[in-house]
Amino acid sequence: MARTLLAALPLGALLWVGLPLPSPPSPSYLIYVAAESDDQVALVRFTPEAGFTVEKTIPVGWWDQEIEAPHGVTVDPSGAAWYLTLGHGFPFGSLVKYRTGVDTAVGVATLGLFPATVAIAPAGGMAIVVNADFHGDKVASDLSIIDLETMLEIARPETCTMPHGSRFSPDGSRHYSVCMVDDQLVELDVDRLEVARRLPLTLADAPAISAEGAHCMPTWVIPNAAGSALYVACNMGNQILEVDVAAWRIARRLAAAGRPYNLALTHDGARLLATLKGQGAVGVWDVATGQRLAVIESTRRVTHGVIVTPDDRYAFVSVEGIGGEPGTVDAIDLELLEKVASVDIGKQAGGIAFWKVADPPVE
Amino acid sequence: MLAVRTLSAAALAALLWAPALLAQHAATAARVEVSQSSLALEVGDSTRLSAKVFNAAGNEIDAPVVFFSSSRRRLAVSRDGKVEALRGGEYQVIAVVRSAFDVRERIPVTVAYPPVTRVDVHGGAERLFEGAAVKHTARVFDAVGDRRREVPVVWSTDNTSVATVDRYGVLLAHKGGNVTLIARAGGITSSHRYRVERNPISSVRLTASADSARTGDVIHFSVEALDGSGRAVTGAPVTYTLVPSPDDSIVAASPAGEVDDTGRFVAELPGDYTVLADVAGNLARRTVRITPRQASQQVKLVGRAPVRDVRTSDLWIWEGVDGRDYAVTGTHSAKGAAYFWDVTDAAAPELVDSVVVDARTVNDVKISEDGRIAVISREGASNRRNGFVILDVTNPRDVETISAFDDGLTGGVHNVFIYRGHVYAVNNGRRFDVINIEDPKTPYRVGQFELDTPGHAIHDIWVVDGIAYTSNWGDGVVLIDVGNGVAGGSPSNPVEIARYADFGGATHAAFPYRSPTGKFYVFMGDERGRPGFDGLGQDTPSRMAGYIHVVDFTDHKSPEEVARYEIPEAGSHNLWIEDDRLYAAFYNGGLRVVDVSGELKGNLGAQGREIGHYMSYDPEGNVANAPLVWGPQPYKGNVYFSDMNSGLWTVKVEPRQQPTP
Repeated sequence: MARTLLAALPLGALLWVGLPLPSPPSPSYLIYVAAESDDQVALVRFTPEAGFTVEKTIPVGWWDQEIEAPHGVTVDPSGAAWYLTLGHGFPFGSLVKYRTGVDTAVGVATLGLFPATVAIAPAGGMAIVVNADFHGDKVASDLSIIDLETMLEIARPETCTMPHGSRFSPDGSRHYSVCMVDDQLVELDVDRLEVARRLPLTLADAPAISAEGAHCMPTWVIPNAAGSALYVACNMGNQILEVDVAAWRIARRLAAAGRPYNLALTHDGARLLATLKGQGAVGVWDVATGQRLAVIESTRRVTHGVIVTPDDRYAFVSVEGIGGEPGTVDAIDLELLEKVASVDIGKQAGGIAFWKVADPPVE
Repeated sequence: MLAVRTLSAAALAALLWAPALLAQHAATAARVEVSQSSLALEVGDSTRLSAKVFNAAGNEIDAPVVFFSSSRRRLAVSRDGKVEALRGGEYQVIAVVRSAFDVRERIPVTVAYPPVTRVDVHGGAERLFEGAAVKHTARVFDAVGDRRREVPVVWSTDNTSVATVDRYGVLLAHKGGNVTLIARAGGITSSHRYRVERNPISSVRLTASADSARTGDVIHFSVEALDGSGRAVTGAPVTYTLVPSPDDSIVAASPAGEVDDTGRFVAELPGDYTVLADVAGNLARRTVRITPRQASQQVKLVGRAPVRDVRTSDLWIWEGVDGRDYAVTGTHSAKGAAYFWDVTDAAAPELVDSVVVDARTVNDVKISEDGRIAVISREGASNRRNGFVILDVTNPRDVETISAFDDGLTGGVHNVFIYRGHVYAVNNGRRFDVINIEDPKTPYRVGQFELDTPGHAIHDIWVVDGIAYTSNWGDGVVLIDVGNGVAGGSPSNPVEIARYADFGGATHAAFPYRSPTGKFYVFMGDERGRPGFDGLGQDTPSRMAGYIHVVDFTDHKSPEEVARYEIPEAGSHNLWIEDDRLYAAFYNGGLRVVDVSGELKGNLGAQGREIGHYMSYDPEGNVANAPLVWGPQPYKGNVYFSDMNSGLWTVKVEPRQQPTP
């Protein structure tokens, strides 16, 4: 009866009597997460009230009995397609295009040796994949630049040994990657499809905040929303570097024990998140002050990727696990700075990408 | 924050997908106009395209354009619009606005095929006699080396009274005299001069290596042409043809045998077969009788060791130093485990120990010749340093880890082989490394071998008598001297002996076999995945493809693919050959046992050579009732095999039962 009466009251009446507004159900967040050692991609839904559900497990690759190592995943800005790198081929890896929702593969491009991180230009249409060649001879590798309509490779500029991380500048005119072996940050001029600048990232002249010597071994780079700064994870150097894009120099160093691996910024630019792969945790920093706000333990060991929801409310973290452990996706409440949910998926959860905010599932 | 929390999904999506600046930028580019709407080029030509970008109002704006090619290796296009025609064909140059990739223009490009420069004629005969018919073929190439299959070849002779040729290159000699055979294509001719000799042959004798045989047996036919004086005439071309007459009990029998141009004959079905030999118009015929091979025997289950919680990979069976029999099995996409079984009682295998290493997949397991050392491969290590692990299996009930080796092998070791104190490890799918393990506590690399072909890869390695047999997908099988001495090779200095690539290009595993016939065969197994994009889930039975190619390496300088073993509905995986029997894992096709005795030719599966098969159905398997046989090993009268969905199985090929009337 009370519910009936309440429903009959006009909104103004509720406000007048001072009753709280009924909260609309929270939206759900849908993400894709790759499980590298199971040749699967999980479509995962997170709803604040209900936590995680695995909506779908998508088998990927062509060879059931050979691990093809899905590594990097990203969603087209239009939300219509998602893209996956397969690290292992015979010998070359590939970029596979899937329709979102139906999750059907609709195109493939052959890339270089062990393609890893993939990024799509902000305006869509073009992807840049780092051919990481993790395990080959320590020789220079390259980037594959792919037209996403035709899935043709446009160009393959050489960058450095073991390139990793792939992100466009917000205006799409520049692309950034790092060199795990060569300790470099590489800027690509997207108009010319040529390397524009390189920045050495050696820690030799840095303050002694690294216990492991001068090797940065950068694994990730992201720009801030203005494109004025870049953040680079020095995985071996246990630092996060802030690079002034205009001056093209390291402007600040943040101590980041625990082998920082992937990075994410909140969209307001206030917080920086880093997966601490060696520690099995996620670190959160205040960008303005450089102060570390929290270290949030992951459900399992070997924390890999991190993304932030468009409303900056949650972060989702992929955790590889070890051996036969399943991979895991953790949700971190960015207000509470606490892990609030987790769900297991296939083994070695790695690449993670945000698809969309959706209405919650109908009960 | 409440406001953010209560935003609708649509509003949140808008926050994500509509960065205002980008939308504005993209919207300004509405059309791209390229300086030419199409191109017609010759090979070697180059030209430059330019582009203008317009907004929706039709005003030109400053926006960079990227050009690229629909076929980079045949039409080179630089990002700024330089076009260079490399090979003939129909292509496109695509011009896209860098800031708005949906704004694009496609410029069709026709590159005229370059002129034909070469016509190669194959076939023919050493000598040509009146009345002879000889088949020729021609291959046409253009100026950049492209084979031009679409260019018609016109055959002719310069003296039709001496010889004529039909449109398919079959030359028919009419009378003695000189004649030139001409193949003309694209304005280029190739000629072959013949002297048609008076036909001295007055009789032809056709002999066969046997008058009767079983299906699958090879009979060699040979011809002796004699002149009127009974002297042999040499060099005359012979055309063999076959008239099959299968048993009338066989319904809808298609051509059930084959005879090649060297006179090798094999039949798939029982019956009478007449081989005709045409020697310059002189016919000879000989009929042989083919009887059923009667190779089939029962394959019965002896025992099994189920592994149902994870997928099983490879296996190895050996006699331990204590005289008991043991098996080791790996695991796939799982927890990095290897299981050790006591199989002394093959009917009741007993799990006696297990080892778990930091890996997801232990793809391969091998045991040293003395039964004391195991090497297991690692893939999916948490620190991405894979390599292999050396185990002490002197006591398989208490297996101990001796050492791990990952130096330079971080990318994953998919397959290994142990041979005389060395581990031959497939490294990252690119090459193999040779690691000395004479002191297993301190393994060290002594050599490596890598092909130099573009895009080369390696999947498997097997070493016998100092020769490594590597399986290299598109590069086929490669034989490498790693101590045999035939090519001066050693573990530290592997030297290639020979290679053979089949047409399919999916060589996954290879096994050498020296047949009692004196033939030396290498069996090359394909592995082909399921058709792409089928959307099947993990819980549906897998289905693979590919077959086993049999290559005669008796003369390693000119290997010849002579036979195949194929199951249309399943794909090959690992294989083993012993005592004239092929034991082949065929994934969803189960375990296959095939009689490979004698000389091999043709489609073995159709010749009644299959002795038997075993389908490893397991209702409680990883995927229920879905055989997925990975690898076999015959051992002490039994056949052990691993099944990905259900673990270790032991079967026995029962002695053949004589039919009781």
